[in-house]
Amino acid sequence: MRRLAALPLLLGLVVLPAEAATTYPLTLQNCGFAVTFDKAPQRVVTIKSTATELLLSLGLRDRIVGVGFQDGPLPADLAAAGAGLKVLSEKAPSQEVVLETEPDFVYGGWESNFAGDAAGERPSLKQLGVASYVSPPACRSIRPPKLTFDAVFAEIGEMGAIFDVAPAAAALVAKQKAMLAAVRRDARGLTAVWYSSGTKAPYVGAGSGAPAMIMEALGLRNVFAGVDDGWTSANWEAVVDANPDVIVLVDAAWNSAEQKRKLLAANPITGKLDAVVNQRYLVIPFPASEAGVRNVPAAVDMARQLGALQIPAK
Amino acid sequence: MSGLVLRDVEVRAGGRAIVADASLAAPKGRVTGLLGPNGAGKSTLLAATLGLRRRAQGSVHFDGLDLAAMPAAERARLAAYVEQSAATSERLTVRDVVALGRIPYQSVWQSGPGAGDEAIVASALAALGVTGFGDRLYQTLSGGEQQRVQIARALAQEPTLLLLDEPTSHLDIEAQLTTLDLLRERAQAGCTIILAMHDLNLAARHCDHLAVMKDGRVVAEGAPAAVLSAPLLLDVYGVHATIVQLPGHGAPLVVYDRARGSGAGPDSG
Amino acid sequence: MRRRPASFLASAGLVVLLLASATLAVTFGPADISAGDAWMTVLHHLRLADTAPLSPLRDAIVWELRLPRILAAAGVGAGLALAGTVMQVLTRNPLADPYLLGLSSGAALGAVGFLLAGMALLMPLGAFLGSLAALVLALAIARLLGGATPTRAILAGISIAALASAATSLLIFWSATGDSYREILSWLMGSLSGTTWGDTGLVALALVVCAPVILLSGRGLDAFAFGDAAAASLGIDIVRLRWTLLTATALLTGVMVAIGGAIGFVGLVVPHAVRLAVGSRHRVLLPASMLVGAVFMLWTDTAARSLFDPRELPVGIVTALVGAPAFLLILLRYRRIT
Repeated sequence: MRRLAALPLLLGLVVLPAEAATTYPLTLQNCGFAVTFDKAPQRVVTIKSTATELLLSLGLRDRIVGVGFQDGPLPADLAAAGAGLKVLSEKAPSQEVVLETEPDFVYGGWESNFAGDAAGERPSLKQLGVASYVSPPACRSIRPPKLTFDAVFAEIGEMGAIFDVAPAAAALVAKQKAMLAAVRRDARGLTAVWYSSGTKAPYVGAGSGAPAMIMEALGLRNVFAGVDDGWTSANWEAVVDANPDVIVLVDAAWNSAEQKRKLLAANPITGKLDAVVNQRYLVIPFPASEAGVRNVPAAVDMARQLGALQIPAK
Repeated sequence: MSGLVLRDVEVRAGGRAIVADASLAAPKGRVTGLLGPNGAGKSTLLAATLGLRRRAQGSVHFDGLDLAAMPAAERARLAAYVEQSAATSERLTVRDVVALGRIPYQSVWQSGPGAGDEAIVASALAALGVTGFGDRLYQTLSGGEQQRVQIARALAQEPTLLLLDEPTSHLDIEAQLTTLDLLRERAQAGCTIILAMHDLNLAARHCDHLAVMKDGRVVAEGAPAAVLSAPLLLDVYGVHATIVQLPGHGAPLVVYDRARGSGAGPDSG
Repeated sequence: MRRRPASFLASAGLVVLLLASATLAVTFGPADISAGDAWMTVLHHLRLADTAPLSPLRDAIVWELRLPRILAAAGVGAGLALAGTVMQVLTRNPLADPYLLGLSSGAALGAVGFLLAGMALLMPLGAFLGSLAALVLALAIARLLGGATPTRAILAGISIAALASAATSLLIFWSATGDSYREILSWLMGSLSGTTWGDTGLVALALVVCAPVILLSGRGLDAFAFGDAAAASLGIDIVRLRWTLLTATALLTGVMVAIGGAIGFVGLVVPHAVRLAVGSRHRVLLPASMLVGAVFMLWTDTAARSLFDPRELPVGIVTALVGAPAFLLILLRYRRIT
């Protein structure tokens, strides 16, 4: 308990015992900006899938008046809850479009969602009486520490406090912790590269973000763990030199896992990698590859995929 | 007829004729001066002679050859042209600039000047007295020095027809006289030379033949003594002057009095 | 006569430097491969050695990743430097670079367009088509303005470049997803990542076709030193020369940009640096520019892919970091002389 309490302090989050009712006004420091809630928000705009999914998981569908910049379809367990949500924009919605829905709270999955040409700068929203929140792992102006599942759970807890649904948040966290505990870390000492995008130069998961967090939970040694960043643009040479045992493919609507498979196989260099020749891939849908409620289920699914892979001992 | 013969040459630009009905006959192996005030069309006529400006009408023959019909490279071996001012931002030495004159003789495949070329360049430099500048950057020379280098470049082309536009305008008196004497020597060696000039007295003294232009037309042509007259000077140049023939000087001397329309000159009244 | 041995020695020296650079560069890279093994691998592939000392994957690192890229870098550097030299003479503008007539902006539009349309692998084709389209448009506008003189061509090129850049920005803003921003930015800055033997072959082909045409125009380019009239009076067919050179340069630049993206500074700085050393006689300047450009690109790309292991910088950043101060130095040097 003490460790959990200490972590939110580090992230500047409010410390509340789980399951307590929220006392308003509630003031938090979020990504370098002070936000005050007089009551639980009633009209929320969520930007990015991670924000939408987190609120849906807390049963807050009725409070969402509009969603923007979604990264893919909702997972099966949230699809029914999220059906019929009003889509404001394929990309980041403009400030006018956001304000048209008369929100009292905008929840952004990326800090750039609050730029002047997107939902609007946070001070300007505050002046209009609209609270704003940036998912802490995505904060760029204040560098977040290395991402851990505890930080993901802390965000769920904070949302629980903001919306005065602390019991639901605690239950969700407990459920995810149990799922995570059940994931058996692979003991084969396998190396892996998290291939997110890029053809000429690969964009890969590095040492400090969701990719690293998930790979560690799976017991995989991330080839690019030494780079202190969420993702990094790397060199095919470094990938080939490492000859990873497993390659994680991020499946996005604009760049699917299948396309990545084909690319890797067709390239004369990567085509020779053990992981490519033997099709040792783990697939994760894009929305699950950023910090959010889908990380744990994705880790569970990937552990299952990993367990099914036959990899000869070195 | 030998020499340079222009017949009814017309050059148009911007919808009007800058040069019209221009005819002249510059005798072979002689120095012909092309005179006229600014804007008379001297430079244009020279450029049109070599096909550097398009002729709307008229013909140009040199030694019976139609200059317009000739391939450019062949014409460049025959005729050379010195512009009024020549500046460049390229980093060329004086020797490089004079060596440009050998381009018409070099094939595309040649990688550089041959031994024969270098000798001709050296003698052109010497003729203009600029050998000492050989390795200096052309850009660092004064206007007058650059003019001499340009003439050297033209001589390196070994032309039998040489057209020069104000070649002595930046030169001091000594250099002017030396250059004009050099041109006279070249003429005697067989080169036909046309010089556009401003200085009437130098023209009278150093040219065997004169052609005077006004408003794009050649209005007078002939030996200096025949062409230069007070009425002509008044009509073409707008100046009152007296033509004097001094004993011992073959050429007439122009003594300027005053511009047309101004009051009495210094010596009158 | 006294100058010939010196310039011959200098050219020979540059060729030696280029070969030595290529030989050395193949040993650099994030993967830990010894120099001896790298050279043996190359020799083996050239059938000059029997044994392949490395595992198939590491062998591929040397032969499929490093070597084509090194050779392409040298080729792109040579092509851009040559194109820059010619553009500077043709337009009589010392600030000209190969992209002057809207070539790089057009290429960017083509490349970005193809990428966002889902044809990421055909980006080079898009870039090439884009640069040609920009050139044709620029020249058409120049004709409309009353004849394609150098000044009009430059002005038309600037307007086409502005238009293409605006269109590119619009495309990016409108359609780009998070991932493609990175690829686009990398292309816009100039990058030789992922160069294959096919790319290297294209670069070589472009050089083999276009460079001789340009190199043989050395004497014509010299004649341009004092302007059109002087060149014409020296017997040069200036219209034909200009169009030939412009076409050859545009084709060459189009291919270089298609393969390497909009790499800056090489085409601008290398010709000036070489001019300071050898002067403006084009028969010497053109080949020297090519060689110096090749060596320059070879080393900047090696730095881009090796210095920040395991990350990689787009090579255009390195050429700018080196090229900008170099250009300042050159300007200072020119100021003292002119």
